[in-house]
Amino acid sequence: MDNIRRVASEAIQKIKNSDDKVLESIKFEYLGKNGILTKILKSLSHYSIEDRKKIGFEANKIKTILASEIKKKERCIKRDLLAKKIRREKLNCSSIFCFPFSKGSFHPIVQTIQDMILAFKLLGFSLADGPEIETDWYNFEALNIPENHPAKDMQDTFYLDGTKSLLRTHTSPGQIRVMEKQKPPIKVVVPGRVYRNETSDASHSSTFHQIEGLEVDKNVTFLGLKMILTKFIHNFFCCKLDIRFRPSHFQFTEPSAEVDIQCLFCKGKGCKICKNSGWIEMLGCGMVHPNVLRSVNYDSEVYTGYAFGIGVERITMLKYKIDDIRLFYENDLRFLRQF
Amino acid sequence: MKISYNWLKKFIDFEFDPQELASVLTSMGTETYVISRECCWSNVVTVKVLDVQKHPFANRLFLCKVTDGLNNYSIVCGADNVSSEQIVPLAKIGAVLPGGVKIKKSKIRGKDSEGMICSESELGLKKKSKGILVLDKNTKIGVALEDILRSNSILEIEVMINRGDCLSHLGIAREIGAKIRKIPSLPKIKTFNVPSLNCVEVAPDLCLRYIGMLISGVRIGPSPAWIINALEENGIKSVNNVVDITNYVMIELGQPLHVFDIKKLGTEMIFVRRARNDETIIALNDREYKLDSETIVVANDEKPVAIAGIMGGKYFSVDEKTVDVFLESAIFNADLIRKTSKKLSLTSDSSYRFERGLGWGISDLASWRAANLITEIAGGIIKSKQDLQTIKYEMPNICLRFERISKILGCDVKKDETIEILKFLGVNLQLKNEMALCTIPSWRNDIKIEVDLIEEIARIKGYDVISTSLIHEENDTITISSSNNSFLPAIVEDFRFKLNGLGFSEVLNYSFLEIDKLKKFGLKYSHKITNPISKENEILRPSLLPALYKNLLLNVSYGCERVVFFEYGKVFTEYGEQKTFAIIMCGKIWGEWWKWLEQGIIPKYDFYFGAGVVKNILPSNEFKITENLNPEGYYHPGKTASVVFEEKSIGQFGILNPIITTDDIKEDVFYFEINLDLFDSVCFKKKSFYKTYSKLPMVKRDISIVAKRDLQFLEIEKIIKIFMRDDNILKKYSLFSVYSYESKFGNNKISYSLRLFYKNDEKTLTDKEVNENMRTLLHKLYVELGVELRQ
Repeated sequence: MDNIRRVASEAIQKIKNSDDKVLESIKFEYLGKNGILTKILKSLSHYSIEDRKKIGFEANKIKTILASEIKKKERCIKRDLLAKKIRREKLNCSSIFCFPFSKGSFHPIVQTIQDMILAFKLLGFSLADGPEIETDWYNFEALNIPENHPAKDMQDTFYLDGTKSLLRTHTSPGQIRVMEKQKPPIKVVVPGRVYRNETSDASHSSTFHQIEGLEVDKNVTFLGLKMILTKFIHNFFCCKLDIRFRPSHFQFTEPSAEVDIQCLFCKGKGCKICKNSGWIEMLGCGMVHPNVLRSVNYDSEVYTGYAFGIGVERITMLKYKIDDIRLFYENDLRFLRQF
Repeated sequence: MKISYNWLKKFIDFEFDPQELASVLTSMGTETYVISRECCWSNVVTVKVLDVQKHPFANRLFLCKVTDGLNNYSIVCGADNVSSEQIVPLAKIGAVLPGGVKIKKSKIRGKDSEGMICSESELGLKKKSKGILVLDKNTKIGVALEDILRSNSILEIEVMINRGDCLSHLGIAREIGAKIRKIPSLPKIKTFNVPSLNCVEVAPDLCLRYIGMLISGVRIGPSPAWIINALEENGIKSVNNVVDITNYVMIELGQPLHVFDIKKLGTEMIFVRRARNDETIIALNDREYKLDSETIVVANDEKPVAIAGIMGGKYFSVDEKTVDVFLESAIFNADLIRKTSKKLSLTSDSSYRFERGLGWGISDLASWRAANLITEIAGGIIKSKQDLQTIKYEMPNICLRFERISKILGCDVKKDETIEILKFLGVNLQLKNEMALCTIPSWRNDIKIEVDLIEEIARIKGYDVISTSLIHEENDTITISSSNNSFLPAIVEDFRFKLNGLGFSEVLNYSFLEIDKLKKFGLKYSHKITNPISKENEILRPSLLPALYKNLLLNVSYGCERVVFFEYGKVFTEYGEQKTFAIIMCGKIWGEWWKWLEQGIIPKYDFYFGAGVVKNILPSNEFKITENLNPEGYYHPGKTASVVFEEKSIGQFGILNPIITTDDIKEDVFYFEINLDLFDSVCFKKKSFYKTYSKLPMVKRDISIVAKRDLQFLEIEKIIKIFMRDDNILKKYSLFSVYSYESKFGNNKISYSLRLFYKNDEKTLTDKEVNENMRTLLHKLYVELGVELRQ
C-alpha cells in the first residue's frame, strides 16, 4: 500500500515537472501496457481477497488521478505552446495589406432625393409618381398656363416628333395627376426628372430633377405652407437657418412666393456664392390657383391647397459646394467616389 | 431694368437709403440690387480748388492748390476745365484707381504733384470723358468720393413677369407708396384741346389703343444734360432731343413711345396692320428683317415703317433735318409682339414692356408728357391728336370677401388694414357688409380674381408678418408607411444596396442621346425630339447602354483599372417610357492584392463572374437565369443569358460583342439590363412561411460525368431538377470542377464534377439508399442526354 502511495506521489511530482516529450514517456511508464500501475493491478492475484480489494481500489483510484493529472498537464502544455505561437504572430496592420474590397457609391442626386423624401415623410407626406412624357394639358393648360402665355416660353420645352407629347418641364403635372386620381385630403410629394431645352453650362442642364409638393384640404393656408417648408428646411439642413419668403409669380399659384435661405457659407454676411446678398434662392411655392383646382373639378370655395417645387441639383450643389451642374452627369469615378 | 434712386425721390418722399429700399422692394417681389459702380477707390476725396496757375515749364499743364479742409495740396493738372472754386475728386498719394493705377508722389516737369485730380474715365465711371469731373458746388470737401456718389445710387430691378407696370420709375414709386402708405405724385403734365387728327387706321385685334400726335416745327439737337444723364444711368444712349424724350418718358412712366419724321413717311395715312408675308424692313439697328403675317407693323400706304412695338424703321426716323414729327403712344397686342420678338431674335426696351402688358391709362398720360417735353425742349407746337380705341375699356371690378383672406392666408388681417392697403394700391373700394367691391386701377392688369387681391394684401403686409407663431403647432403625424418609402421601385432599392456592397458606383446619365451613338450598338430609337438645341438632344434613349458605355470609356481613359457602374432610369421605347436598371462592368474584379499576386491570381470580370453578380442581386429564386433565345445584337452571341420571371424574359446579360468593343477596350465588358415594368416590382418579394428543417446530417457524394462539349449544362440541370422534385433525398448539387482532357475523352467531350447532397428529413440515410438514388440519376442522364459516368 505504502508502495502504491509512494509511486503515486512520485508520479505526480514527475508530471508536474515534465514537458511535452517527457509527459508521453511518463504516461507510458505508469499507465502503459507494461506500466507500473498496470503491473500492480495485474499482480493482485498474489494477494488475499481483502488486500486485493484494498490494493485494487487504491491502485484504480491512483490510476484515475494520474490519468487526469496527465490530461491536465497535456492541456497546460498545449496552451503554453499556443501562447508562444501567438506571441510570435504579429501581422501588419497597415490597411494596404487588407483585401482590397472596393467601396460602392450612391449618386449624390439620388441620395439627396432620398434624404428630402425622408424629411417630407416625417412631415406626413406620401409619395406619388408621374410620367416624363407629358401632354400639353398636364404640363401647361391644367396648370393655368394657356397657349401663348409667356410662362410657356420661359420653360423652353422639348417636343416629341409625330405626337402632341412633350417632355415635362417641371414636376407640377404630378399635382394634376394626383388630384385627378383621388379626392382631398391630399398630401404628397412627387419627385422626378424634368427637361428644359436650354444650352448646358455650369448652372444649366437640359435634364434635371425636381420634387413637387402638394397639400389640398379644407383648411390649408399660406401659413401652413410657411410652417411646413420652414420645418422641412430646418430638418433637411439640420440647423436653425434664417428663412425668407418673398413674393413671386407663378401661373399655378396665387399668392406665390420664393423661399430664400440664409447663405450656408457666409451665414448671411454676404459672399461670392450668394452674390453678396446673404440669401440663397431655394424653392418656389404658393397657394394652388383656383383655376388649377377648377381644372380637376375641385370646388375652390371648399378646398384650398399649397404647392411647392424644389430643384434637386441646386440643393445638392449647395450641400456639397459643387460649382458645375454638369459634373453630375459626367460620371467620372473621381467625382462619384466622393459620395 | 435700372432705376435711379434720386429719380424715385421726385415721385415720392421716402426715407429708405438705397440698401434699405432694395430689401423693401425685394420683400415685395421686385428683386432689387444696388449696383455698385464697380469702382474701388481708396484715398480719393473731394477737394476744393483754391488757385490755378500755368505751369512755368509746360504750356498745357496747370499748377493747382487744393484743400480738403485740413491740408492743402499742390497738384499738377492737365485738364483745361480746371478752375478755382471747383469741387473736384482728388486721388491722394497712395490711392489706387480702377485699372490698378497707383498714385505716387511725383515731379512733373520739375514741379511736385501730391496726387491727381481725376476725370470720370480715370475713376472708371465712364469709358471716355473730357476734362476732370467737376462736382456740385455744394458738395462737402474732405469726404471720400464713394460717399458722395452713392447718394445717386442706381438700382437694378428684376420685375415679375406679370408686373409690367413696375418697369418704370412711376411703377416702382407706386410700390413704395403702397408700402409706406403714400400716393406718388406725377410730374406736371399740361393737357389741352388740340384739333383732332384722323390719319390712323388700326386692325382691332392688333392694337387696343393708338394715340398719335402731330408736332410740327421742332428743332432737333442734342438733349440737355439732365436727360442725357438720366438715360445714361439707365443704360440708354442719347440720340437727339426728341428721341431721347421718348425714351425718357418710357423709363419714367413705362409707356414705350415712338416718333416718326412725317416728311419721311410721305403719306397722309398710317396703318397698323399685319405684315404681308414677303415684306421686309431695315430697322434702326441697320439690319433687315423678313416679316410675316404674325408681325404687327406700322405702315404708310406702301410699306412698313416700323416693326410695331419692337423697333422703328431706319429710313423713317427722326434726324437733325426733321421738322415735323408724329408721336406714337400705343398698346399693341402683347402675344404678337412676344412672338415676333422671339422669331426675329430682336428685343428692345419697348418690346420688353409690351410683352408684359401695358395699363390702359398710361398711354394718354405718356403721350402728353412727351409732347410737353418736346415742345419745351425742342420747340414746335402740338398740331393735332388722335386717340383711337378698338375696345371700350372699363376698369375691372372684383368682389373681395373679407373672410376669404384668413381662409387663404391662415392669419387674420384687420378689415381697416385691408382697406388701407388696397386704397394705397390705387384700388377703389365700395364696402358692402363683409365684402368689398374693388375697382382695379388700369395699370394693374395682373389683378384678375379675388385671390389676386389677397396676394396683394399679403405682399404689402409682408410675407414675413404672416407668422408661424400665430397658430398652435400642428401635431406632426409621423406616418411612414412600410412600403413605398423610396421614390425608387423596391427592387431597385434592393439592387442598389447589394451592388453598393459589391463596390459598384451609381451613375446618372442624360435621358437624351445622339442618333449616331445608337448605330454602334444596333439600337433603334422611337422618340425623336422635334426641337433639339444640339445633336446631343436628338432622341430619347432606348437603352441605358450607350451612355454607360461612354461612362466606362471615360474612366478607363484616365487609367481606371476597374469600372463597375449601375444606373436606374427610364428608357423610351415603342412601348413608351419604361423603368430600367442596368449594370456595366469591366477590368479587374478587385484591386491588386499582394496575396493573390503571390499565387498568380488576377481575377477579371468575365461572363461567369458577371452572371454571379446578377444571380446574387436578384431578389428570389423566382427570377431564373436561362439561355438567351433572343439576344440583343450588342451581346457576344455565345456569352449571353437571360433573366426570366414568371416565364417572361425581363432582362438580358452578357459580354458585349467584341466587334463593338475591340477598338475601344481590350477587356471583356459585361452588361446587364432589366426592364422593371415587365413585372410588378412591388410584390417581387413574395413572403413565404418559415420551413422547418431537419437536423440530420447531409450525406455528400462526388461524381464526375462526361458530356458532349456542345451540350448546354442547363440541359443536364433540367434533368437533375426534375429528378429532385417530389421529396427526393437528393437536396442540392454544386459544380466543383470542369475538366477537358482531349487524350482521354476526345476533343468533343467534357467532364463535370458534381457534389451531390443527400438527406432524408426523417431518418439517417443508409449507403444503400444513396447509391441506389445516384444510380437512378445517372441512368436518367445517360438515357436522355447520353451523359456517362467518368470511368
